[in-house]
Amino acid sequence: MAETALVAYAGLVRSSAQVAVTYRGRMVLWVLSGFFPLLLMAVWLTVVAESGPPAGWTTADFLAYYAAAALVWHLSGQHIVWEWDQDMRSGDLSTKLLRPIHPFFQYAAADLGHRLVLLTGLLPAFAVAVALLPGLDYDLTPADAVLVVAAVVLAYVLSIVMASAVALAGFWTTQTTNLWMLWWGLGSFASGWVAPLELMPEWLRNLAVVLPFRSTLGFPVELVSGRLDGPEVAVGFLVGAVWTAGFALFYVVVWRRGIRRFQAVAG
Amino acid sequence: MSRVRGWGRYARILAICWRAAVAEQLEYRADLAAKTVMSTFWLAWAALGVSVYFRFTGDIGGWTYGEVLVVVGLFFALNGVRQAFLEPNLEALGEGVRRGTLDHLLTRPVDSQVLVSLRHVDMHNLVDPVLGLVLVAIGVRLAGRGVTPGGVAAFLLLLLAALVLLYALVLCLMCLAVLLVGADELSTVSFSVIELSRFPVQAYRQPLQTLLVVVPVALLTTVPAQALLGRLDPIWLIASPLAATLALVAASVGWHRVLRRYTGASA
Repeated sequence: MAETALVAYAGLVRSSAQVAVTYRGRMVLWVLSGFFPLLLMAVWLTVVAESGPPAGWTTADFLAYYAAAALVWHLSGQHIVWEWDQDMRSGDLSTKLLRPIHPFFQYAAADLGHRLVLLTGLLPAFAVAVALLPGLDYDLTPADAVLVVAAVVLAYVLSIVMASAVALAGFWTTQTTNLWMLWWGLGSFASGWVAPLELMPEWLRNLAVVLPFRSTLGFPVELVSGRLDGPEVAVGFLVGAVWTAGFALFYVVVWRRGIRRFQAVAG
Repeated sequence: MSRVRGWGRYARILAICWRAAVAEQLEYRADLAAKTVMSTFWLAWAALGVSVYFRFTGDIGGWTYGEVLVVVGLFFALNGVRQAFLEPNLEALGEGVRRGTLDHLLTRPVDSQVLVSLRHVDMHNLVDPVLGLVLVAIGVRLAGRGVTPGGVAAFLLLLLAALVLLYALVLCLMCLAVLLVGADELSTVSFSVIELSRFPVQAYRQPLQTLLVVVPVALLTTVPAQALLGRLDPIWLIASPLAATLALVAASVGWHRVLRRYTGASA
């Protein structure tokens, strides 16, 4: 039983990876569109040059932070919201319901396939940037590296579960993507996307520690930049795990109610 | 039918196209309301996001917070115009080239460039230029310098040049869409260029700053904002409209050349 399920997931991941490879051009442009964090960084570098390091952040700090943020950003699985929305409107969700795997896992497997292809392109590019750019450097022990990988995986799982939980709103409204944008937009102040959290006002920084958003971006980035001590790392993992469990539970409860309302639009 | 010639004829044709599009979109009023809410949200998001830099400095590249808001507002307005008038046509063209429906447009007895590049309008995004200009006004107030009638006149002239330049850029992308058969990724390119104009070019370090003057992203938002704030180098009053005119002529010549090579996909 478990074995057939694994084979099915592997197949889903593989087929989505093949789709991603077929549309390589699209992917390259998608990566280019992710240059927004580098734009924000460029302005910070001007601030450093003109007014000195803000809160002690030097050029090297900003480089390390934003290079990692640009990479981790591509691993967040939020496209899923648009997939859900599309399928609920068009009725394609019905097809997914007929398969013996819960739709969440079908979306997640498809997303994972995309990510894996993206990673094979992004990781070498990232390694080249670290090797070539003076000032861009990560000082990691093997133990740190394991923690970073764990934090990135947690960020990916949490963002997929959170996005899917929000996407279930589609059973009640056609404004799911707007709802997600509001959620994400507000969260981006507490995730480390708008600016590194250390540069935010203190109340926001404290709030961000207990909100889910930092776990999806800021936490792994701060970890790889070597900005966290032992207890902070432990709290980070704990908060991320609790939110993941919370959103998963929320998803299960809402799914049961929502699916009863779902009326297939098409076959 | 009365024979109206020249510009008047094109204005009438476009008015008919747009009236039909507006009538269709007015049927989805909830979507329009949601779009207005979202636009307001993103505008506030952008204004708040920029404020983080000013926790550490009084000005970036000589631009105070209020002055940067003028640029952010202009960015928002231009992006709204792009999304309302240019993007829908670029998308429709990509579709038309793939399916062969472009051929029908080419047989009509009017200049293809006008029909192809301006026929569609997406009124959901018409609220963005309005909101953007509101932020411009707020920024001017915050900057606290007041405006002169001459400054406003120069601003309007340079804003017109910026719009023409933006149109020319999208027309170039349309040429590419015909050559490459499809436009899915090209809209990402137009967004990336305009995204760079989110900040005044002086907020970037060299050599990026000079590059953006040459490219010419600076003409989109930085230069009109300088005019409004009364600190414009007068050379731009000639250079900017000249560059816009040249770009428009080049793009228009390019379009008609590309069409001569176009062989059509319909049966």
